[in-house]
Amino acid sequence: MENQETLLRVSHLCQYFKAGSFTTKAVDDVSFDIKKGEVFGLVGESGCGKTTTGRSIIKLYNITSGDVIFKGVRICAGVKSYKDAIANAKKEYAENIKKPGADQAKLKAELDKFVAEQRENIKAANNDQKNCDKEYSAKKVAEVTKKYNELISKAEGEEKTRLEAEFKNELRKAKNTKLVTQIQMIFQDPIASLDPRMTVKEIIAEGLVIQGEKDKKVLDEKVYEMLELVGLVREHASRYPHEFSGGQRQRIGVARSIIMNPELIIADEPVSALDVSVQAQVINLLNDLRERFGLTILFIAHDLSVVKYFSDRIGVMYYGKLVELADSDELFAHPLHPYTRSLLSAIPLPDPIYEKARKRIVYNPLAEHDYSVDQPSFREVRPGHFVQCNDAEYKKIMAGLEAQE
Amino acid sequence: MENKLSVKDLRISFKTSNGKVQAVRGINFDLAKGETLAIVGESGSGKSVTSKAILGILAANSIIESGEIIYDGKDLLKISEEDFHKIRGDKIAMIFQDPMSSLNPIVRIGKQLTEAMLLKGKARQRESRSTFNSYLKSLNAAMIKNNPSDAERLTESCKKFDKFEFKHIELESAFNSAKEAAEENLDDIEKIAFELEKKSAGKDALDRLRDISKQAVGSLNTYVIDPEKYGGEIKALSSKLLPSFKAGRKNSEFESTLKILYRIRDISDEAVKKPVPNFFRMGYYLTFSGKELPDMPIEKMNDYLKEYLDKEFMLAFISDAEGALKYSASETYKNMREAISALNAALPIYAKENLDRKESYEAQKSLAAVVKKAIDPLAIVKDSLSFTFAPSLKSEVDSYFNGIVANRKALKKYARDKKKYERIIVSGKQAGWELAEPNVTDLELVKENISRLIRRLIDHYDEALAAADSRNYDSETVDIINFLMTNASGVVAKVTRRIAKHRAIKLMDEVGIAEPHKRYRQYPFEFSGGMRQRIVIAIALAANPDILICDEPTTALDVTIQSQILELINRLKDERQLSVIFITHDLGVVANMADRVAVMYAGKIVEYGTSEDIFYHSAHPYTWALLSSMPDLDTNEKLEAIPGTPPNMIYPPKGDAFAPRNKYAMQIDFERQPPMFKITDTHFAATWLLHPDAPKVDPPKAVVDRINRMNAKREGAK
Repeated sequence: MENQETLLRVSHLCQYFKAGSFTTKAVDDVSFDIKKGEVFGLVGESGCGKTTTGRSIIKLYNITSGDVIFKGVRICAGVKSYKDAIANAKKEYAENIKKPGADQAKLKAELDKFVAEQRENIKAANNDQKNCDKEYSAKKVAEVTKKYNELISKAEGEEKTRLEAEFKNELRKAKNTKLVTQIQMIFQDPIASLDPRMTVKEIIAEGLVIQGEKDKKVLDEKVYEMLELVGLVREHASRYPHEFSGGQRQRIGVARSIIMNPELIIADEPVSALDVSVQAQVINLLNDLRERFGLTILFIAHDLSVVKYFSDRIGVMYYGKLVELADSDELFAHPLHPYTRSLLSAIPLPDPIYEKARKRIVYNPLAEHDYSVDQPSFREVRPGHFVQCNDAEYKKIMAGLEAQE
Repeated sequence: MENKLSVKDLRISFKTSNGKVQAVRGINFDLAKGETLAIVGESGSGKSVTSKAILGILAANSIIESGEIIYDGKDLLKISEEDFHKIRGDKIAMIFQDPMSSLNPIVRIGKQLTEAMLLKGKARQRESRSTFNSYLKSLNAAMIKNNPSDAERLTESCKKFDKFEFKHIELESAFNSAKEAAEENLDDIEKIAFELEKKSAGKDALDRLRDISKQAVGSLNTYVIDPEKYGGEIKALSSKLLPSFKAGRKNSEFESTLKILYRIRDISDEAVKKPVPNFFRMGYYLTFSGKELPDMPIEKMNDYLKEYLDKEFMLAFISDAEGALKYSASETYKNMREAISALNAALPIYAKENLDRKESYEAQKSLAAVVKKAIDPLAIVKDSLSFTFAPSLKSEVDSYFNGIVANRKALKKYARDKKKYERIIVSGKQAGWELAEPNVTDLELVKENISRLIRRLIDHYDEALAAADSRNYDSETVDIINFLMTNASGVVAKVTRRIAKHRAIKLMDEVGIAEPHKRYRQYPFEFSGGMRQRIVIAIALAANPDILICDEPTTALDVTIQSQILELINRLKDERQLSVIFITHDLGVVANMADRVAVMYAGKIVEYGTSEDIFYHSAHPYTWALLSSMPDLDTNEKLEAIPGTPPNMIYPPKGDAFAPRNKYAMQIDFERQPPMFKITDTHFAATWLLHPDAPKVDPPKAVVDRINRMNAKREGAK
């Protein structure tokens, strides 16, 4: 897992929702990287913003602030941080200028420069937010054109007409390509996420059709391949979702997402609604696919046993903030943030004697932390192990870690 | 331990357009008082169907093929819908899986919580009254039979009992509402005073203070807050409360309001701590002595009244009652002996090759009459077997004779279909349909059921007769008097809207909902998932049930909330001595909750035992598969998913239903259904692997490893 390229970088992601005069900070300043080929688990109680994070990454929401960088391209960008910076600078300027002996001209120049910089940033962010897909498809179109122009110029006769037709087809597809389609989602509820009036074939092929694939034969072949891949059979293609059991439906959801040949899958609680035995089947399926295609998965769940089993690294979220991030073994062996500890103490295990004696640790943020003066930040306490803490807590944690060693 | 509920040989099917789905195929279990039974299995294994049958809310296309669900001397499968109204929600309550769909989205939480309390409150009062009356009547009848020469005096004393019970009810009812108001006030004052001290009175503070002042006046009662001593003061205080708050609110100065509140609190506090007078004795004194109550402290008065009551009435009444009890018991024993011989005589009638219609029904009627006579009218704990015998027998006999007709029809239809099918096949075409097996009632089985029913009752009577000598009539008489008194108090317990609201808020507090006063007026969508589930639990508990059925209550919730809800259910279970049926597929949750576990597969219980038995010594391959398909925190290797899907229950497999998915399956598993093998006194499993001739098989590695790991961890922790 060492030294791998970063597939997805989320930095200072904020997603606020406005309801009247009240703003809900669903996700507040969350940063993490996902490396190629790993499974990144995101856990936390319901309402802590894990699903919102996933949806923000796939551009289902317009994010408030921060960046999401996928394969080196900024696909989401928010502008609130820049706007806040401008407002702050102006306020500071207004205060400074009142001070006796202030160099007004210099301060004004500084402010103008800063504001201009920030405006530039806002422009760039808006551009990226809007046009990242266009740029990507333009790049794709250029690639395809270059490839076929070469081929067509070499070919002759029948070969040439065939290639020209193929070129037309490919060009259309390239024009319709979006970068975000390389990120796919698997949803929690396999009943609600499949259209009851579409056959399985239509559901699975829909993405390809939108992308511009018109050839029925290619679509059919692709769909059959996917069905077999996820452990269903060809005959299932013409059926409707209600004819399937929960586990099979979730398999259809998986097939729908991998047919787009994605690099990153956001699995939003894919097994929460399933029976234990079926849950194991779906997890095994995801594991197989991951090994086969080198998929990267953002795994959002609240069942910690499953997350622990499936993920390489785990981020713990609490009320919109990422409070701890570490390798899964490390996190479970040395939970440092009190919320993580509380969360771990709530896992039920199939061991009656242990269970009857298990004491849940209650997490009360007001009693636990004193952030009135010293604001917390996200710090690395061990290689790869990050905790949300302030200076005093950081010292305490470091002292604790040293004592352990 | 006392058995609260027993399910015997329950079989339930559903009629569908494709055929009959056999959802539950003969399950048996008992539920003791204060015990949690977990039912585990995949979806479609029949666990929810079982729980719905207990609650009498099965879908309309369900057919109850056989079985009994015995609760409180009634067979829940055979009682009428009106009778079920008294049980459903009141004695047996249910928490459903999805809290959103089990709450009404357009009705405020408060109303949903109090609705049942108000409705059930009235029904309960009526029921208590009728139980009291009918019991006193049968007691009187038994007394007279025991001592015919003294009939007049005995009737008189029973009437007396009824009469002063009424007086007692009057007094106690007034006392109860006053005391409840005082207690309520204490809670409320405590909370609002805390807020006022912090100068953070909420918007609803005024309403709450208004409540407090109303209640303070409402709690005036001779035995709670003495109107002579405190009446004037309380009235003055409560009239001053609101103006002082309104005046103080402008500049957040609550000194004077707090002062008033504390004074009310002190008075209420004193009142709540006062000893409770014995209204039962008081009622007698007031009704029959013709004098005012003596002026003395309550404790002393209680003793004085006891002496008076004992001398004048109670001792004689107790000895009469004991005599009646003994008489009634000896009569019952005599009737039981008669019933035994009648039952024995009836056995051959139902053992014939072909039952005779007339003879069978006559025997059924006469047996019903005989068994009815053998029921002791004075027994407080109802004899379930005798009570359910007559309807059970009738339904079995019915099903035999209806079955004959139905079988003839079914066979005819089968023959017709078969002909048609063969014609199609012979003509070389493919039939678009399958030839379904004829749906025949097994008459032999019905006959067997009948004789088993009769034998079971005979055995039961034999046991009762053997235990006859060891009965303690003294304590039973005391029980009877207590029973009468409890029912009389039941008539008292009137639930008004105010009391219901207070109880609802208390319940919301109990299930861990913050700011219940505010939350009381909100709608379900304003709550998060965990909070909604708490509301559902509060509603289920509102009627103070005996049995709580939890149908996957935490599946939709995340770990922390799940953990809180489980703790809540466990705590309430201990506090209220609830019996809980917990349905889930999460084995971790089972380990946390269950005293005993029943693992269900394809409508049958395949393994049954204490939670230690199931988790440490599991014996059925299906349990192994469930255990190994679930990852825990130390699992690293590939999960062992159970291959395939559960069988189609329209055509249940001939042998062990789990055999096709079972890697330990043997030839016999496909041919014959395994019986329940007993492993220890508490542990049973239905698998041929436990047969003495079966090869020795070890549980899968994942399960063994986990158990070892857990043991090691526990050792390490020590």
